[in-house]
Amino acid sequence: MKQKLILLLALSLIVPLHVSGNPGGVGNSLENMQCGGACHGDADQNATSNLQLSLQPSGTVWVGQPAEITVQISGFDTSHDVDQIGIFLLSSTNANNDIPTTDGWTILSDGMGGSNNYIEYASVDSNVLTHSWVLRADEVGEKLLYVSVHHGDNVGNDAGSPFFGVSQAFEISVEAIPEDLQRINPEYRPPTSREIGESTVLCLETIAASDVVIEWREPSGESYQVEATENNECWNAVLPSALTASTIEWRAILDGEGPQQTTPWFSLTSVEPSWEADETALMLQSVAHIVLFFGLVLLVRKPKPSNDAYKAYMEETI
Amino acid sequence: MIESATFHVITTELVVGSFALAGLCFVLHSLVSIRNKESQFVNMMDSTAHIALLFGILALPFAISSGISSSPSGAHTSPLLANKMLLSTAGGGLALGVLFTRWRMGYGGSSQHLHNAFGSISTGCMLLTASLGGTYTRADSLTEFLPFVKETTLLLPAWMSIFVMLIVLAALIVRQTSTIKHG
Repeated sequence: MKQKLILLLALSLIVPLHVSGNPGGVGNSLENMQCGGACHGDADQNATSNLQLSLQPSGTVWVGQPAEITVQISGFDTSHDVDQIGIFLLSSTNANNDIPTTDGWTILSDGMGGSNNYIEYASVDSNVLTHSWVLRADEVGEKLLYVSVHHGDNVGNDAGSPFFGVSQAFEISVEAIPEDLQRINPEYRPPTSREIGESTVLCLETIAASDVVIEWREPSGESYQVEATENNECWNAVLPSALTASTIEWRAILDGEGPQQTTPWFSLTSVEPSWEADETALMLQSVAHIVLFFGLVLLVRKPKPSNDAYKAYMEETI
Repeated sequence: MIESATFHVITTELVVGSFALAGLCFVLHSLVSIRNKESQFVNMMDSTAHIALLFGILALPFAISSGISSSPSGAHTSPLLANKMLLSTAGGGLALGVLFTRWRMGYGGSSQHLHNAFGSISTGCMLLTASLGGTYTRADSLTEFLPFVKETTLLLPAWMSIFVMLIVLAALIVRQTSTIKHG
């Protein structure tokens, strides 16, 4: 019997031989670099990615204004078998507290309907992947940004391992904005997602702008312009609803005393209506489950008579 | 301060480890006791199963509460999270019942296999809950063959949950009264 038990335990230890790092991804989220590769494992499990990583802003980065930061990942070829690739935008490589929001940045859009520093692509079709974030710097000065990737790879000696790579530091110069230049209110946060079938009324807060035009484009690239109307503190424009889950992009063209200003493209993702249950009902049902299953175990068991009461009962009866 | 998601991982691993050990011991206890009731191994499995179950039960409230607080929008916003919560409370209820009956009603008798079955089912609930956690965080788990647990939740209205609790409590009280009066 003992030998059989030892054999069973030994076999159960041998069975889970194939391990791989998060093959289904972890979802877009705010993540530190520590999560690159193996969130639950030792970083020593990571293999080194040979992808080339670069990063650059699309123009001058003004303090308090949205700035597009474009990341380019190249080097995908037939030796890579990438089902999922995760891309990090980081402010340091400390492995903790390295989300750009901890270094004076606000993430206005991650290009995928959220405001995360970590996004995932389910597949990569070409040998170069380009992705853009829209950030806002809260202070003037020099800042560093890094791009990092993690992915799987089923080829070579490290097949099945989580692959991890991090770029060199890219210096971003954040400049003070000229006083009378028309611009978006530094407090403005663009919407990043909405439900399918729901149109979006933009309320764009600006400073020193005399006219605003909203330009939006479909996933196919076809673009349209919408005249915005001034209403109290903001400029209103309506973006039409989407019929399917998709992402449109929009930007504002601002006129004023200075040269015409154009914001980066903001992504607006249309998603299926989210599932939501009654929270109280769920809590009550959880408690009901404890009571029900606790009671079930007790009720199906043959009762053991209480000795004292049983004795008294028997004496009284007999 | 430790993040609730990290704390959840620690407590979950405590719960899963304890329940897995308990479940294994319950199954072995039944298998061995069929062949040889007097074996010392039977008593050892019984004690180990209940102590492991008790340890798992002690860690369970921390796992549930840290799980709720580590979810950005709450368990009620995802059918998978709602199922995790319902399964873990079902398993917790079964485990509490198993420990209570062992403590108050003693050991042995013809219902010992049923008792072990309840202990094993509670382990199954906990392992399934943990597996759903893998689906939620990694989009990959051993229970990918159960698609309905990701998309569907059998949610009762609040009044029905209260009704169920009252019925079970009433049955327990009636049972207790009946036991005292009639043995």
